[in-house]
Parts: sequence; C-alpha cells; structure tokens
Amino acid sequence: MIGTLSHITPVIVQGITGRMGRTHAALMRAYGTNIVGGTSTRTDAKDAAGVPVFASCRDAVLATGAIASVAMAPPLETLAAVEEALAAGIRLIVTVAEGIPLHDALKIGRAVRRADATWIGGSTPGMAIPGQIKLGFLPDVCLRPGPFAIMSKSGTLSYECGYRLAEAGLGQSIWVGVGGDQVKGLRFADLLTVFFADPRTHAIILVGEVGGSEEEECANALAHLGVRKPLYALIAGREAKEGVSMGHAGALVMGNVGTLASKTQRLAAAGARVFGSIEAIVEACVQDFASMRT
Amino acid sequence: MLLIEADGKALLAEHGVAVPASVLVANATIGDLPGDGPWMVKAQVPVGGRGKAGGVARCTSAHEAAAAVQRMLGSRLKGHQVDACLIEQAATGEERYLAVMVDAASYGLRVIYSSQGGIDIEQSGLAWGRLCPPHAGAVAEALAELGAEADVVALGRELANMLLECELALAEINPLFVSGAGCVAGDAKLVVDLGAIERQPRIAALIEARPQTYADANRKLTEGFDYVELDPEGEIGLITTGAGLSMMLIDELTARGMKPLNFCDIRTGQMRGSPARVMRVLEWVTSRPSLRAVLVSVFAGITDLAEFGTLLATGIEQTPNLRVPVVARLIGRGAADARRILTERQPAVFVTEDLEEALRRIEACA
Repeated sequence: MIGTLSHITPVIVQGITGRMGRTHAALMRAYGTNIVGGTSTRTDAKDAAGVPVFASCRDAVLATGAIASVAMAPPLETLAAVEEALAAGIRLIVTVAEGIPLHDALKIGRAVRRADATWIGGSTPGMAIPGQIKLGFLPDVCLRPGPFAIMSKSGTLSYECGYRLAEAGLGQSIWVGVGGDQVKGLRFADLLTVFFADPRTHAIILVGEVGGSEEEECANALAHLGVRKPLYALIAGREAKEGVSMGHAGALVMGNVGTLASKTQRLAAAGARVFGSIEAIVEACVQDFASMRT
Repeated sequence: MLLIEADGKALLAEHGVAVPASVLVANATIGDLPGDGPWMVKAQVPVGGRGKAGGVARCTSAHEAAAAVQRMLGSRLKGHQVDACLIEQAATGEERYLAVMVDAASYGLRVIYSSQGGIDIEQSGLAWGRLCPPHAGAVAEALAELGAEADVVALGRELANMLLECELALAEINPLFVSGAGCVAGDAKLVVDLGAIERQPRIAALIEARPQTYADANRKLTEGFDYVELDPEGEIGLITTGAGLSMMLIDELTARGMKPLNFCDIRTGQMRGSPARVMRVLEWVTSRPSLRAVLVSVFAGITDLAEFGTLLATGIEQTPNLRVPVVARLIGRGAADARRILTERQPAVFVTEDLEEALRRIEACA
C-alpha cells in the first residue's frame, strides 16, 4: 500500500475544521497531495481548506472515493476516528495524535488488522513520498526526492537527518514516521520489506530510540532477509533515565529491556551500520552515496 | 511510567492479590515493624534491578532495618533519589515469576511465567512466554498451558483484569511466593499509561499523592509538556522540542563530557503565543546552582520561529535569575526573523542555524 501511494491517491482529513485539521489540510494540498475532502462534527461547515466537508467518513468516501485518511483527532478520540474510517472502507490511515491511550492503540491495531488495512502512528508527523504525496506534516524544507528511505520513531530527529542530507543533495524515496508510541501501526520490521521491494530506494535510514523492541525486531528481520540494501541506524537515548518515559510513551527503559546497547548490538550483528550522532550518520550517508547527489 | 513498589502493591491488594504486611517510612524513625522478622527493606524508586544496585536489604532485627533505611534514604539509585523505604515482613514459599504485559507487535498480551523466580529470571532463559488476546480468560488459559498451578492461574486472571481495567502496560510480580497458605506478591512492578490518566482516576490519585517521587509525571500532567530532570547537579539546561532530538542532544552533550540537566519536549506547536512554557523551563533549570549554560534547539517545520523568538526573548526578560549564557539554535520557518528579534531584544543570546556550532559554543561555556 505504502509504495503505491502517489499524487493521485484520494485522501480525506478527519477533523478538517479544527485548528490543526484546517492548517495541515491546506499545507498538504499545497504540497501536491490529492486532498478530496474532510469530515467534521460541525454541521454548519460546507467546505474547509478548499475541499468539501462531510458529516461522516462514509459520506466522504462515497462522494470522493478516498482510500486514505489523515486523522487529526485528539488522542482520546482517535480510536473512534479509526473505527469510523475503517467502516467506511479507508485502506490507509495516519493518526498524528500524541498520547493515544495504550489500550485504545491495542484496539486500533486489532481493528486495522481485521480490516487488512494499514495504520501509521500515533505520535507521528506522518509519511511522505517526496514530489508525490505528503500525509501529515513532515516539513517541506526536508523533503526532496532521492535514494534514501527513512523510517523514524522521532519526528524532529528525522527532520535533522533528512534536512542535512537534502541540503547535501540526497533526498528520500519514502519517508515514514512510525511514531513514538509503544503500540503503533507500521513498525520498522514491516517497512524493511516495503523498502527492499521499492525500486526508488537505494538505502535505508532507521532513526530509533530506546524503549520497546522494535529495533531488535528489525534486526531479526534484517538477519533473516539479508542486507539487500544498506541500512544506516541512529538511535537516541543512551543517557535516558530508567523507569521514566522520555517524552515518547514508548521510550521507556527498564532493566536490560529497551536499552541502547541491546539495539545497537542486534542491529550491528545483523549487518546494519549504527551511529551515535547526527553528524556521523549524515557524513557516512553522504560519503557512501556521493555519486547520487543531485 | 513505572509505579514505585508501595503503590504497585496497594493497587495489587485492591485487586485481590495478597501482599506482605508492611510500613512505608520516609525518615530514619522507623517505628513499629510489621509482625515478626525477618524483614525486607526496599528503596522506593521506580526502577528495575534495585537488588543489584543495593536498594534491597534483608534484615533480621529492628536495628538492622533502621540502619538499612538510614543508608538508603537520601541516596541516589539509578538516577532517582530515594525518598522512602518499604519495610515488609519477608514472605516465604517457593519463588515464581509472573508477568502480564501489553505486546505491541501482536496487539495482544504477553504472559510470562517461570516456576523459578528471582532477580535474574529475565536473563536466565528459564521464563516462558505466551501471546494471547487481551482478555483475562485467555491469560488464565495461557498460564495453565505454561504449567502454572490453579492458585497461580487464578492470580494471573486477577492480574490480567487489573491490567485491562487500569489500562496498564505491564504487571509483573517477581518473586511471587507460593506456599500452602496461597500466593503472596514479593514485589510489584506496574507500568501505568499516562495517556489514559484522564479516565483512570485511581492512577491519577496515586501520582498526585507523590509530587516528589513522580515529579516528572506530575509536571507532564499539570504543564502539558515533557520535562525530565536527569541530574540535579547538571550543567546544561535544555529548551528543546521533539522527544527524539532532545534525547539525541543529551547523548551528544554527554559524549562530549558535558552534564545535561534535563530532557525537554516543550512542543512549540502548542505554545499558542504564550511564553509560559519557556518561563517554566527557565525557572526549573535556574533553580539548580550547577547550571552553566542553556541550549535552545528548535527545528521548525510548521512553527513560526519569529513567534518563538519573541516568546524566548520575553521568557528570558521575565527570568531575572538567568545569569548564564544562552545558545539558541533555531532553524526553519522564520529563522532570520527570530535572529533579528533576539539580536534586538537579547543581544547576549548566541543565535545560530548550525547545531554543531551550537554544541561547540555550549562546550566553550561549560
């Protein structure tokens, strides 16, 4: 699903009349995303950000044929927003809210799996295929078509990497913010197969952080599939305080679980190159892909 | 967020799990001890591995217990100050390990059980896990398959009910003591979800009741953004947006031999024209006499840095206690305007777009 998204993919924005929804619908449209409508509980709203507003996802999908949705719902309302979107036939949903309750996220994950749909989020800036489509709010200044697929738990840390590489003439094939939550939609390991299959992608950048086992799962998948494309990893949180979530709900170290050492060792053993600073990963990518600079 | 053992055990007891008789002490006067000895004295900090770090002592006399309390109180254990100790009657029986947790990859629960409990169980390879759907009945079935006896299966069902009702990420009991008298929880490791706190009044009350112990969580709940104090003797205060970037900056500062004071995700997108958050962070970092410099780092994708620059200038003006250099690394939308505003209103602030330059500048201050 991810690899086939393009500037013609019809997209709706759930919660389009809110402050966030209106702003980002307009910015996504300006980027070239085919925003075809939005939903709102406000009955007086007929259009927003230049597209029609519908009372429900069902109405929006019937009228526009949308297959993807960006849910600009508050964290406690995200579960209902996803259920509504799935019932309307939406195939890909991006939830940007930070702080979706963990057990709501479990329910979202199970509903998405039953519907055989794709979920990105939460606590994510969303995803983009530069030059084609942007779902969410990755900064335009970082986006540039190019050889690197980026997958990241952190928005801002991926912006730093993406921006510096873009400045050096190295852009992105696909950029997915998997988000900082513990229970989420697409995970690093899921994306590995997507990026390996994507002909635009020449190398992969993984921006991880301490907590959970997603980096370790990705290392397992990499060991199993083989390093078909080089993988560069940057992992934050060496100095994270144990027992406390560092901003992201998923960034919680307890005992030996979720530590930087475990992630680094597993990824390196599987054939990834792991870096400890932004400058180091950017320099390595620029050096290795100097011939692809545009 | 991990609850301290005393709060975890309170929650366990409310859900029908037996716990040893205990007292919680916050000063060296320990008073009457519960029942007969021996007793366990345990530092109440929200971290795992307390035993290996010296935060657990088995004591056979009141004198020994008092000495252990005195040794632990006020010390720092894995980055947390010890404000209280739990003294409880040492439980007896065979030691087991039992944990129920949310499993992110399967969108279900993971049940882990071992007939041999103890502090090294997670690394020993002796614990066996099962994945199951998020229902108490499924947890009980999984435990039975893992070979747990009827008492433990029943307890696992209660634990799963509690995890689902209280929306926990993890409920772990290690060791779980099993004897003819039944099951007793020797420890409690419960991880709560701050995202669900609005609809979990019991958990909210536990956190609010301990403003010191759960300082970071209380700050998040009252202020709406993340600030975690890493080192009360830290030298570099951080005003940053984005959790991952803030963690990375802490790593990079530490690798260069500096001592970051705090983690911060101020969320510039939610400031809505008010300098309140900047002022709060400046108030907290300047309250530490060890502060040597403040590093501001904002990568603005959507945020207008002109507005942030104004709020930063106002925040600095309103913080007379701020007597250390400020380095502001501002990049993205409106960076030039932000530089102009800061140069006019706060000429002492060093403004740059280059993160490496900002880090070198901070290094020179520290």
